[in-house]
This record gives sequence, structure tokens and C-alpha cells, in this order.
Amino acid sequence: MTPQVPSVLAEMAQLLMRNAAPDVPPAERANALTLAAAVLGVAGEVWDTAAENLVAENRALAALLDGAADETSLRLSALHAENSRLRSLLIAAHVAAEDAGDTARQEAIWAELIASTERRKLSVSSV
Amino acid sequence: MAGHPLEPRLAAYIAGRLPDAADVSVSGLERISGGASRETYRFRARWRQGGEVVARRLILRRDPPASLIDTERRVEFAAYQAFHGTAVPVPAMLWLEEADGPLDHPFFIAEEMSGYQASPLLLFAGGYEAVLSRLAERKWTILGEIARADPEALGLTQVMPPMALDACWRRELDHWEAILDSDEAEPQPIARAAIRWLRANPPPPAQKLSVVHGDYRTGNFLYDEAGEIHGVLDWEMAHLGDPLEDLAWGFNPVWQFGRGLAGGLLPQDEATAVWERASGLVADPAALHWWILFNCVKGQGIWVGSARTFIDGGNTDPIMVYAAWWLLNAQDRAILKVMGRL
Repeated sequence: MTPQVPSVLAEMAQLLMRNAAPDVPPAERANALTLAAAVLGVAGEVWDTAAENLVAENRALAALLDGAADETSLRLSALHAENSRLRSLLIAAHVAAEDAGDTARQEAIWAELIASTERRKLSVSSV
Repeated sequence: MAGHPLEPRLAAYIAGRLPDAADVSVSGLERISGGASRETYRFRARWRQGGEVVARRLILRRDPPASLIDTERRVEFAAYQAFHGTAVPVPAMLWLEEADGPLDHPFFIAEEMSGYQASPLLLFAGGYEAVLSRLAERKWTILGEIARADPEALGLTQVMPPMALDACWRRELDHWEAILDSDEAEPQPIARAAIRWLRANPPPPAQKLSVVHGDYRTGNFLYDEAGEIHGVLDWEMAHLGDPLEDLAWGFNPVWQFGRGLAGGLLPQDEATAVWERASGLVADPAALHWWILFNCVKGQGIWVGSARTFIDGGNTDPIMVYAAWWLLNAQDRAILKVMGRL
């Protein structure tokens, strides 16, 4: 999830504090709290599966790239950084497969990309 | 409760723009929900002029500290002005202020069109089912009118740079790829693959150079219970370009609202037929497909920019997070769908 959940929760906490002040115009408070509630709901939805999904995706990407995923830390921030590193390598591998006309490799990459959107799909997803 | 702190400053600004008015006051200033690219407020203004009391319901659109999309409010203001009084319904513009002094950020003030709705959630909640087909007809007829309009006759070539017909697609694709380059907080392998396909399979030159609204979708117009559209809003991404770009933005699958219809309203081929009748133009299927995929990339550029703005602390409004969380993966899935892989 980008922006990452911890920084969003910290910001939403500050927003709630600001909106606890008595002089916030009611319409603005209602708008801010409604959106904050929606954001918190999504954070709650993804929290339980976040680490598992990142580990699964990193392992799948590493397998495609003939390497191993770095799992020395299981903090979400570390898993996310490893995910970004692997996805950068995947883009390069995809370009190389296109340039080489290697359709089997292209299809394998597309299959993982499709799977990645399934892992990341939210209950509120419009697609 | 005391009034909003912006009210006296807004009254002072309006007084300065109305030298013949006296006792200018502003009340009831409240922020309207949404506003990811501009802060939007409604308010009431009253003043005395020529022995009469004048009362107006107005809208303030102010730049936020940092926006989901960086745009020129002068271009947006000019687009509204150009179409006011034409077959494309828009609210009347009053004043544009580009200096930071009066209200901390640039803004413009417009007439409020009250009594209408804009929310897609409300539109699809069940109470409007009987008028959705009429609304759909109006939606794509008005978009056809925008495509049909002559930008030069509207005076818009003064504020929107014209370009060669065969350069429209490249300029837009370069623009949004550059935004992905600068703003992405994590690699985007699906959008990057789409960009490679778009560059390898360019569309034909535009049929004409049109005004492109840039964000014409369900949610960006004011409707009533009879299915009439009274105001087209959110022109902040307006520019000159290929009219198919505008038609295709509304066909981005993220704007189906889970209903499996273009804009949640109509099958894509029927919407296209309405647009063709109104515009007098033809939507070549291959070219339209190119522009739909392009608009999926553009959408990803917007959502990536929203995340970046939050991460950098430029604007930590929860809408910046919600737009990114709700739409980044949905947009990737839309790209896969348009490329025939989902």
C-alpha cells in the first residue's frame, strides 16, 4: 500500500486531534472525519494480510528473476523496500523478454503481474 | 459559533472588486466535500449597491498547499468562461485571483448552481434509475458539443497551446510518463508495460484539434432528478488535443463504479454512438482503444501523484490517501483489462 499504512495512521491521528477542537467548522469536520473513517477502514482491511502478501509476492518475483527474496527483516517497511527492488528488476526483465521476442517469459511475467493485482485487491475496488 | 476565519478576508476581496458596492459581507462559508485538486467552498455574499441589497450564493475554488494534479487555474477559469452560455452548461465565473496575498493561495469565485447533485454514489443508489438513460444521452451529447467546438472561436488558443494533429498523442503520453517518472513511490511494472505498448502502436492523427475537458466523467457534472445536466465542472486539466482523448477518459474502467457500464450509465458502443452524433466526428475503434489505454496510464499518473503529495507532506488531506489506496491497484487492473489480460 502506498502511502504506507504506519505513516497514514500517524497522520490520521493528528487529523482526529485537530478535529477535536471546538472551533472547527462543522461541515469541514464532517468532511475530514468521513474521509478519515474511510481511510482507517481500508487500513484495517489490509493490516492482517499485509506481511503475508508481501512475502508471497517477493518470493514469486524472486523465483521469476532466478534469485531469492531478502527476508532478513519481516518489518513491513523492509518487505516493501524489497518488493520495490524486485519490481524494478521485473520491469527490466519484461523489457528484455520483449526485445528478445521471448513470449513464454513475457507470459510468465504477465501471470505474476495479474496475480499481484489479485493480492492487492481491496473490497472497495471498482475493477 | 464564530464565522469561518476566511469570511472577513473574502469580504474584503469582494469589496475591492466591487468599487460601487458598500457593506460587503460574507457568511455561511463551508467547505464542500472532495476537492483533491482545489479546495471548494460555498458561501453567501451580501452588499448594497444603487440603493438595493444584493445577495448572491457563490463558490470559492482555492488552490490547496499542494495538489493531486498541478494545473493552471487561469486555464480552468478561461475554459469555464469560454463555454458559458453555449450548449455546454457551466457555472458563470466572476473573479480570478492569481496572487497569494488575498487568501494565501490563488483562487477564483463563481456563481453557485444550487439544488443539483454531483455524487455518483447518490446517482447509483437507486433513486435515479428511471432517468439514467436520459442522463447518459445528455452526458455524451454535451461531451460531443465540447469536441465539436472551435477552440479558436472560443478564444481558448490564447491560453491553451495548439499543436499539430499528429503530435497530440505524443505530447500527452510524454507528459504523463514524466509524471510517473517523477512521482512514483514504487515501481509500476503494469503501467510501464502499457506505455511501451502505446509507443509501439501509436494512434492516427487527430481528426481535429478540440478542447479536451480532461476529466469528463460521472461525478464531474451537476444533475437533477429529471436526468438533465446543469453544469460541467472540474476543468482543471482542460487543454487542446485529440477529441478521442476526452471520450476515452470516461471509458477508463475505474469509472464504471462497479456497474459494468461506461460511466456506470451505458454500454460503451452506445455512448460512443451518442458522442458521434453530437460531435459529427468518428470514433475509430482502434484509435479509441489506444486512447482508453492511454487514459489508464494517465489515471495512474494522477493516483501516483496523489500518493507522492501525501508522502512529501505537501497535502496530508485524507482524500490524497484514499484516492491512492482506492485506485492505484484498481487502475492496474483496468490496464490489464484494456490490454485483454484480465
